Amino acid sequence: MIKLDPRTKLLLLLAEAIVVLGGLGGSSAEPFKTVFMVLPFLLLFSAKKVRTAVIGGLLLGLGLAAEFIPAGHSCSIILLMCSGILTRFVPSIMMGNYVMSSTKVSEFTAAMERMHVTQKITIPMAVMFRFFPTVKEECSAIGEAMKMRDIRFGGSKVLQMAEYRLVPMMTCSVKIGEELSAAALTRGLGSPVKRTNVCRIGFHAADIVMFLLCAAALGWIIWRSVT
Amino acid sequence: MKGKDLINIGIFSAIYFVVVMVFAMLGFIPVFMPLLAVLVPIVGGIPFMLFLTKVKKFGMILIMSIIMGIMMILTGMGFFTVIVSAVTGLCAELIYKSGQYRSASKAVLTHGVFSMWLWGNYLPLFFMADKYWSTRQDFGQDYIDALTKLMPMWMCPVLLVTAFVCGIIGGLLGKALMKKHFAKAGIV
Repeated sequence: MIKLDPRTKLLLLLAEAIVVLGGLGGSSAEPFKTVFMVLPFLLLFSAKKVRTAVIGGLLLGLGLAAEFIPAGHSCSIILLMCSGILTRFVPSIMMGNYVMSSTKVSEFTAAMERMHVTQKITIPMAVMFRFFPTVKEECSAIGEAMKMRDIRFGGSKVLQMAEYRLVPMMTCSVKIGEELSAAALTRGLGSPVKRTNVCRIGFHAADIVMFLLCAAALGWIIWRSVT
Repeated sequence: MKGKDLINIGIFSAIYFVVVMVFAMLGFIPVFMPLLAVLVPIVGGIPFMLFLTKVKKFGMILIMSIIMGIMMILTGMGFFTVIVSAVTGLCAELIYKSGQYRSASKAVLTHGVFSMWLWGNYLPLFFMADKYWSTRQDFGQDYIDALTKLMPMWMCPVLLVTAFVCGIIGGLLGKALMKKHFAKAGIV
């Protein structure tokens, strides 16, 4: 298993967002785009998240395959759009999945502290990333409850649907949030002293390779856009 | 600002961001791209108005706004948003502060101003159009043509105003829902 520093993971996430999702450099960045498309899957395999990697790989393959269907059909615009969405988003989502699943919250705060980011930004960000899975869980639970009562989309009550889904989700989230902040306060989050951290973070050989990769990609894009 | 406030910012940022993302996915259908400036502020008003009831100290709205900008960088929407969101966040903060963090009508106005951060996402479409489309060739020429037709230059200020007006509508909606649900449940 490759162990990366949280700061490296953040850099990779950013590079993924810029090169694959943002598509900086257009077609001239093609070789690096391919590298960054494959990279998240390798990292997921190294973190033993085989199932996620395989599902993501299938989706990405589907998106790539759709590009080869000859244009000219009436539905080709929809196909192209779907393939654009898949090839653009799947690698970034996979990278996000890898970063979120392999980084502990305290590792994240330790890394942010080393980067001298103020706590006013790091604490909300850490809470937010901790909270996304909770929101998802609550949403699916609400969805199941609604299915049981046979309330579904497609009726004439679209606005009510938003209300019926959002309101319970927010009520639950606020309650959970209160418990979370009580738990965090008992661990001394609000205290004025400098916090210590048990996580050992630091740069190793794998980190350097990733840094070089990102630097090379950036250099390549700049060089190609200048010449 | 204490730890509890920072945690509250995180929780509501998460809820708000999820709502924004669900609607932002609609933006792949060309017609919905400008409509995002209508939908996101209206629906986002519901979590945001609840967030405002927890805001009691200076900086909470500003931080949430900046976090939205950072998240837009991470999701590949470009670097303009964080600049816009810092400015609108500060304005929203000052407006809500002028109401001593209590005034309900100022809260609605605050959401209107806060919603304008969305406008930052459109900026590359207008001012760096060539570059923007060169990075999105894989969506196909039809998609590009459809969107360019939908987004002439005069749409740029219109979208800003739309975001503001719909933000106010969303704020009113959020306020009504709060009265209906959250006050009764003792959340507020």
